[in-house]
Amino acid sequence: MQANAELEPSVHIRELKKDRVNFVLENVDLAFANSLRRVMMADLPTVAIDTVEVVSNTTVLPDEFIAHRLGMIPLVSANCDEAIRETRECTCDTACEYCAIPLSLNVACHDSRTLDITSNHLQYDPSVFNPQQESGAEGEELTKRVDNFGHPVGKNDPSLPPVLIAKIRKGQELKVRCLAKRGLAKEHAKWSPCSAVAFEYDPHNKLRHTTYWYETDPRAEWPLSDNAREEEPPRDDEPFDFNAKPQRFYFEVETDGSLGPQEVVMKVSKHPSASCHCAESLEFINM
Amino acid sequence: MNAPNRSELFVLEDGEKAVEIIEDTKIPNAATIKVVKQDHTLANMLRSQLLATPSVLFAGYKVPHPLQPYFILKIQTDGTITPADVLQQACSKLIGTLTALEAKFKREFSFKDVEGAVVSEDPYGGPSTGGPTWAGGRDYLDF
Repeated sequence: MQANAELEPSVHIRELKKDRVNFVLENVDLAFANSLRRVMMADLPTVAIDTVEVVSNTTVLPDEFIAHRLGMIPLVSANCDEAIRETRECTCDTACEYCAIPLSLNVACHDSRTLDITSNHLQYDPSVFNPQQESGAEGEELTKRVDNFGHPVGKNDPSLPPVLIAKIRKGQELKVRCLAKRGLAKEHAKWSPCSAVAFEYDPHNKLRHTTYWYETDPRAEWPLSDNAREEEPPRDDEPFDFNAKPQRFYFEVETDGSLGPQEVVMKVSKHPSASCHCAESLEFINM
Repeated sequence: MNAPNRSELFVLEDGEKAVEIIEDTKIPNAATIKVVKQDHTLANMLRSQLLATPSVLFAGYKVPHPLQPYFILKIQTDGTITPADVLQQACSKLIGTLTALEAKFKREFSFKDVEGAVVSEDPYGGPSTGGPTWAGGRDYLDF
């Protein structure tokens, strides 16, 4: 740890795709790398459907079931920090254009076939807002939005299959009015920008942070991960180095599309709450 | 249902102070620091940064109850610096590391752009190559 203290962290991106990034982090300690992982999973704001008003639901699924499914649909949340405010911090009565995205769904089946209701049927619909209600204090949020901010990820993109919400037959319909709001995954996992974060260090278990159960030979029974190729395998005559610290951390961050992998990773280092928050409060006390 | 509202995990209440320092009366150069509305993410990072500082004799943290959104950090120093100052140093070091990391990431991402791994940039910052597709536009729900 102390050897690491003077070194700058180093990063090597091994793979970058539309929905994932794979990188190796070096010269930081385990606690720091783990905090990075925790922030990516639970501390970055996104938008997700939060309130659902069911106008009519004659599908086979109950209202709550559909409301839950709607909440889980990833919505485009680029630049969420600046493009939308928290509803609880907004001065409006319940919801307004600065703190919520109005979406509605109105699908009925009139043919003798099964109709899939998907996230592509979700429409941006300002009539969801109560017209008598005043909106919150003026802000720059609207100008910081991308065109499809708050729309379902992959809408009108034929290469991305939409998210299925329900299937209906002839004579059934689903009419709902939803408000998407900004939130953190600490409150509900639907606000997490990541669908998975893989985190590995010490693939050969040289540090003995884990103990493998085995029948006869742990090396034969436990397959090594791909990351093991980047590190030297332990020699049999090597004594156990009990001062060793984990050095390289292998990450693979997979997003649900609400934020791009690049934005997820870049936001972490700008993440305001963590240490900056603490430092500011301390300065305040010391004065 | 008596579960606390989950937004209480990270939103400071009115007039609530984020950090409170309680000097230890029995141990020299020691303090207990209560940090509200933060969890292991910050606590563990701070603890390990403090332990990397030579003047710190002891640093440890606990989250007394998982439903109560605060942690307690205990620091003892060798007397050359107060616990509050050493914590502040640790915070600014962490911020420094984060800033350095951000610069590194920016550089790496710009290389990836140049290398042609990225065809075009999405509005939300992701490069548009690949991506998961189910054969025939159907998914696993369509048995």
